[in-house]
Amino acid sequence: MKLEVQYDSLARQHATARLGMWVFLASESLLFAALFALYAAYRFIYPAEFHAAAAHANVLLGTINTYLLLTSSLTVALSIHETKHGRRRRALVLLAITIGLGVTFEVLKLVEYGLHLRDGIAPGGYYSFSELPAHGAVLYFTLYYLMTGLHALHVLGGLAALAWLWLRLYRGRITSESYLALELGGLYWHLVDLVWIFLWPLIYLVK
Amino acid sequence: MATPDPDTNAPSAITYVVVWVVLIVLATASLLLSDVVVGGSGLALSLVIATLKAGLVAAFFMHLAHGRAAHRMAFAAAIAFLLLLVLGVIADVGTRSIASVYVDDVGN
Repeated sequence: MKLEVQYDSLARQHATARLGMWVFLASESLLFAALFALYAAYRFIYPAEFHAAAAHANVLLGTINTYLLLTSSLTVALSIHETKHGRRRRALVLLAITIGLGVTFEVLKLVEYGLHLRDGIAPGGYYSFSELPAHGAVLYFTLYYLMTGLHALHVLGGLAALAWLWLRLYRGRITSESYLALELGGLYWHLVDLVWIFLWPLIYLVK
Repeated sequence: MATPDPDTNAPSAITYVVVWVVLIVLATASLLLSDVVVGGSGLALSLVIATLKAGLVAAFFMHLAHGRAAHRMAFAAAIAFLLLLVLGVIADVGTRSIASVYVDDVGN
């Protein structure tokens, strides 16, 4: 990795990059914070409607996705660990598993959206679920689409980054001597997991 | 020049696996408890478990526990502002009926 002119060592350059990543993750947290605040407000105003609406959430798919993302956090952490110790082949396999888990997450999310849309559970003004016409239920499902949709876009971004990192690792551009990019990509992937850790109970476990 | 290892005391592979097992156990506990503890207290309980899980991911997978203090500060600031925002919003909607003298639409 190239040493930029403003640093006297790669160590300092990397320390700056890591701190920069954490500041970015902090700003990402605040992006989701706005939606969590919105959820809190409407859950407070419409508690009964939120609980009735959550009964129609697909707990099975949501829960499978929870296990997938938690496991993908482990595999990406292990992939970095293996890279650090010079075991490139194992690192490549672990990173590929991470990508596979992420892709499965997205596919299941699409299946879940498809099942809801078939029932007329669409966001905002497109909502036409006759079993549950309450205003609060519409808000619950609109927030559901907004929060899981924004999260799914982050998963997609994370997947693109991980795929690029896999290629760099494969081509020997990421090595046990130089793996900062992989470390930062891993941090981003963990943040995506962190957000889901809170989305899962708020959307699927409300009973 | 070699990339310096910032975390010489980074978690071992075994630690990562143990953390993952605990995460899976906590997720399963949260799922099972959601049928037992329902309503507002159920939501509170599931959020407590979620916070524990998030803490484990941040501390071990994201190396916050042994990384630089500056990383912890950046993240702690975000969490503090997140709580400020969410609690402020709850304080608002939660006290609207008291303040209904001043507010026409109490949100019902």
